[in-house]
Amino acid sequence: MGNIILGVGDLGATNNSADCVKTFALGSCVAVILMCPKTRTVGMVHIALPESRINPEKVKTRPGYFADTGIPALLKKMTTFGCDPHGKGFIVKLAGGARIMDPNNTFNIGKRNALAVKKTLWKFSLGAVAEDLGETYSRTVTVCVASGETLITSPGRKDWKI
Amino acid sequence: MEQRATRADILAAIKEIPLLSPSASRLLQIASREDYNIDEIIEVVKCDSALTARLLKTVNSVAYGLVHQVTSIERAISYLGERLVAGIALGDSAKTIFYKKLVGYESPVGELWEHDLRTAIAAREIARHCHADLSKDLAFTAGILHAIGKAVLSDFLHGSATDLLTNIDSHDVRDYLEGERNILGMDHAEAGFELAKVWKLPESLQMAIRYHHAPQQAPEQYRPLVYAVHLGCILAMMSGSQSSDALQYHLDKNYTVYFNITNEHIAMILLEVNESVETIQAALSEGKELAE
Repeated sequence: MGNIILGVGDLGATNNSADCVKTFALGSCVAVILMCPKTRTVGMVHIALPESRINPEKVKTRPGYFADTGIPALLKKMTTFGCDPHGKGFIVKLAGGARIMDPNNTFNIGKRNALAVKKTLWKFSLGAVAEDLGETYSRTVTVCVASGETLITSPGRKDWKI
Repeated sequence: MEQRATRADILAAIKEIPLLSPSASRLLQIASREDYNIDEIIEVVKCDSALTARLLKTVNSVAYGLVHQVTSIERAISYLGERLVAGIALGDSAKTIFYKKLVGYESPVGELWEHDLRTAIAAREIARHCHADLSKDLAFTAGILHAIGKAVLSDFLHGSATDLLTNIDSHDVRDYLEGERNILGMDHAEAGFELAKVWKLPESLQMAIRYHHAPQQAPEQYRPLVYAVHLGCILAMMSGSQSSDALQYHLDKNYTVYFNITNEHIAMILLEVNESVETIQAALSEGKELAE
């Protein structure tokens, strides 16, 4: 079994049934998981910030960094596996977007990331069937092609699936 | 909760931790002064052949992508920056601390160093937004050191993370610090402070370690530095951390007294943290392999 490890701003996809796609330690970042049932392809992007306008240069080297460019880039990547360019029929799952312990949500990057991700998905008429967003814990996300299961782990907590 | 170890046990363990190398210790002393000269840094490095080799290998690593090879230590230090030089010396000198697998926090090997590096970069960037005159180099160095207490407490906290998080989730415990104190009678900020005293670190660094989760309790003259590290630690956790205590601390909003930071700034700082940490980690790892 191969693990495709995604760092911050990375995106990846595979249709190899022996593969799993994994990203470590999401804090305020959001992992967008796209699954194409028709071709049995799994894709993931590790989004760090909501909007690319903050650093357009970065988009050229790592479009996955931002919600508004990361999702289109992942859809494009998945077309190489024969998937629909607009994500028609895709299953979408979201995880991450954590916050710090502050009732006023002062640094609300996690929430803004989650909103920007949903806004971009809506442009493609896509919506998440499952999500684990917000709260105050770190998440490591693994999706395996064979099972299609999305496993979330966090140090000191029991594993869970969405 | 069951009392596992006493303060005396922890203080005894701190005395067993190896001292910093003379080079690392001297570099920290120099870098914590506002009026230091780069020649002082060069002098210390030149007297340490292992550190000289390590810095040259690091600056010439693929990660930095320099066209021409750097062969003089003066140019290497100038390129890497004094703050990173002190950080590298510190990381190499106290490997048993920074590269320890923190079982008590369910963290893998290297996680503490990566969190410290992220905090250091964030604190340096935050220092740019300070109303007062705050040294970016000092903020970086304080960021590298701020969480050393976790390496001290880790073994004593083994197996405690799940219960501790349950108590925080149910609001029986305010944050991870209080959880540590309930179990051991000491939290990682105090443990780090005790180690900093044994290591004879400058007072500014001692204060940053002691109060990084309670900056308002720091003496007034050190508060800009301590708040920079406080915010840096929080941003480092937001940018990703594989540790049971990740995001389990409160933000002190009085940082606004010392810093003018908007959400836009925070986004830019997070971007800088992620970019710099990738470059530095790649260069250090390559430099280490080549130096060995």
